[in-house]
Amino acid sequence: MVEIWFAIFCLMLTAYAVMDGWNIGCGVVQFLVARTPPERRQVIAAIGPLWTWHEVWLVGAGGVLFVAFPSVLAVALPGFYLAVFVLLWCLVGRGLSLEFGGHIDDPMWRSFWDLAFAVTNALIAILLGAALGNLLRGLPIGPAGKFSLAFFTDFKTRGEVGILDWYTIMVAVFTLVCLAAHGASYLVWRTEGAVHDRGLALARRLWLAVFLLMPAITVATAAVRLELFTEMMARPLAWLAVLLAVGGSVAVVTGQRGQRELLSFVGGCAFIAGLLGAAAASVFPVMLHSTFDPSHSVSAYAGAVTGPGLRLAIVWWPIAMALSILYAVLVFRQFSGKVRLSSPPLH
Amino acid sequence: MDDPAFWHRLQFAFTITYHYLFPQLTMGLAPLLVLWRWRALATGNEAYARSARFWSRIFGINFAVGVVTGIPMEFQFGTNWSEFSKYSGGVIGQTLAMEGMFAFFLESAFVGAMVWGERRLGPTKHFIATCLTALGAWLSAYFILVTNAFMQHPVGHELTPQGTLIIGDFTAYLLNPWAFVLFAHNQAAALVTGAFVVAAVGAFYALRNVHKEQARVYVEWGTAMGLLAAVLVAFPTGDVQAKFVAKHQEVSLAAMEGRFESGTEAQLNLIGQPNVKMRRLDNPIALPGLLSFLAFGTFHSNVRGLNDFPEDQWPTNIELLYYSFHVMAGLGTIFIGLMGLANLQRLRGKLMDTRLLLWALMLAFPFPYIANTAGWMTAELGRQPWLIWGLFRTGQGYSDVVSQGDALFTLIGFAGLYAAIGLLYLFMIGREVVQGPVDDHESGLYPEVVNG
Repeated sequence: MVEIWFAIFCLMLTAYAVMDGWNIGCGVVQFLVARTPPERRQVIAAIGPLWTWHEVWLVGAGGVLFVAFPSVLAVALPGFYLAVFVLLWCLVGRGLSLEFGGHIDDPMWRSFWDLAFAVTNALIAILLGAALGNLLRGLPIGPAGKFSLAFFTDFKTRGEVGILDWYTIMVAVFTLVCLAAHGASYLVWRTEGAVHDRGLALARRLWLAVFLLMPAITVATAAVRLELFTEMMARPLAWLAVLLAVGGSVAVVTGQRGQRELLSFVGGCAFIAGLLGAAAASVFPVMLHSTFDPSHSVSAYAGAVTGPGLRLAIVWWPIAMALSILYAVLVFRQFSGKVRLSSPPLH
Repeated sequence: MDDPAFWHRLQFAFTITYHYLFPQLTMGLAPLLVLWRWRALATGNEAYARSARFWSRIFGINFAVGVVTGIPMEFQFGTNWSEFSKYSGGVIGQTLAMEGMFAFFLESAFVGAMVWGERRLGPTKHFIATCLTALGAWLSAYFILVTNAFMQHPVGHELTPQGTLIIGDFTAYLLNPWAFVLFAHNQAAALVTGAFVVAAVGAFYALRNVHKEQARVYVEWGTAMGLLAAVLVAFPTGDVQAKFVAKHQEVSLAAMEGRFESGTEAQLNLIGQPNVKMRRLDNPIALPGLLSFLAFGTFHSNVRGLNDFPEDQWPTNIELLYYSFHVMAGLGTIFIGLMGLANLQRLRGKLMDTRLLLWALMLAFPFPYIANTAGWMTAELGRQPWLIWGLFRTGQGYSDVVSQGDALFTLIGFAGLYAAIGLLYLFMIGREVVQGPVDDHESGLYPEVVNG
């Protein structure tokens, strides 16, 4: 049961990273693919009305953590205190720029919100990447089973670490590039005209950068925590995830060569999901790894709730999930298709 | 401020109070939007469609702020109240997760379609999207209120050997009687906010002699729903809620009323200032016997005063609790009076010509927000010094690894961010109201999408 809930939690986080990932990526590349305010509105229109639904996956993942691993939540969230709030504030700013930006048809108003959208999304990508880097590297968990992270200490990856060190900064930059590439692929699929064409050129360069950075990240991860790779060797699920990532990257390149926009975009989704899946399968059962002493690490088994809670939630969770996906499919069907600039006025 | 939990408490209080200014209007408007869309579908009357369209735009702006200020709430359980989360996550995690999974997914999927998709969806599908958005908003409230009801009146839990709570009886937890009463009371109060805001905008137009057809719809529907909701807030929901408090949180009732001495035929204090040091209520104006009657159904019932309880059981801020309760109850009474008067004039066919009443309706809209806030302060301050009544004290619940400096930093950050959001919100709502319910400015957020 603990294994299932660990998988559900990772699944929801991965779904968040993939789906909100393209919205974040659209924000990061917005000023590169869209030169005029109307073109930037085209980017926002391509994101569409389901962005809140995508963001709810993060809330859902938080809820799953609460329901299944409350004591892990109780260690992790206060430990990342400042970073969590900076992320939340960026999510606030990002949400407002999406919802308020389109309300007033004025170039200054729109420029302001476009800029806010780009800046907050870039920060969100960096923070999410740094968070992933921290989980892989480990956290300064002491004998009391708690930690409190400063933003930075000595930029080294052992002992009294901070949120930012050479390794987590690398992961953050990689995440930024990767989500930017993902967003560009999404825009290629969902837009026409100049945004589409610039997006295509950008997506090629960005995905190339991702594939070039990939070996460096792998080597760095091995240098920081070699045991992740020895664990990975022994786990078929991790291999499947790696296979998914490799297949995804092949699809990205094939899609770009053959101008199959959807294939390329889905390939990007698979690449991101595969990487996160491989990481999750390799760290299990440790959810929070201690940089001081592995015996202080918090494992899923120790962190899981006891009693009938997990059995109850496994009944309602699939129902809620099925309903949720049904809603999104119904709504998406109404808003699917290419987004075009300056279609005839609708009023 | 000697209390190490002080900044954590202030931050949670500030962010939740601010957040709840928005959902109360969302939930209050949602049933009106459904009703208007339904009237428009059933009768083909374009006036109702226009009303729904205008208020959908207000709903959209309001919903957006509700979403962005709501997401930090879930995370603050973990960041600021980690010991509480660890202790009770096995129970309250269920409903907090269910809120996201059942209600928030539903609401977030359809709200965009509701606000922006009328033309694309067509009237029937659009009506369904409106209904589902409304359902999501109200369902969300239920799950949150079950969580709060557990903190007020814990049921369905078991204590583990490790000293944390787990689910014992899930049905009992989900169907906590406290949650039903709280839900009924709270939703009626949200409807009051919605009704007052709609009536206020209608009165504003009527007084300026613009948008006459729409002004009449807003004023008439707003006052009709306003009276119904204001009565429901007091009776039966508020009455039952008070009886629950009298039965299960005796010491809170004493503090809410500023009552120190015990005794039968307890008086209901209308006005007065609690003097905790001297253990008395200064300058009381009171109705004799009424508190006994309202709390227990007879005038002879003994209502215990604070003197009967050890001081470490007293709510930590008796003065604020007392004023919150009295502001809520006083405003609630005035709401019934104002809406009663408005409905009387409506039945006589003179409402739209009674300018003084229209002025009152226009200026009244902030007060339901104050009453809702005061009501929640009554509930939450009355629960002190407990975080979970009788089980877990507030002082045990905060995150001890978070420094005071970090907690104050984020509180200041929220204060600045939320001040800016408040100004933006007022600017945008004001702009929509001034532009008015005219159909030719449907905003262009998603119109460029063409199906291909």
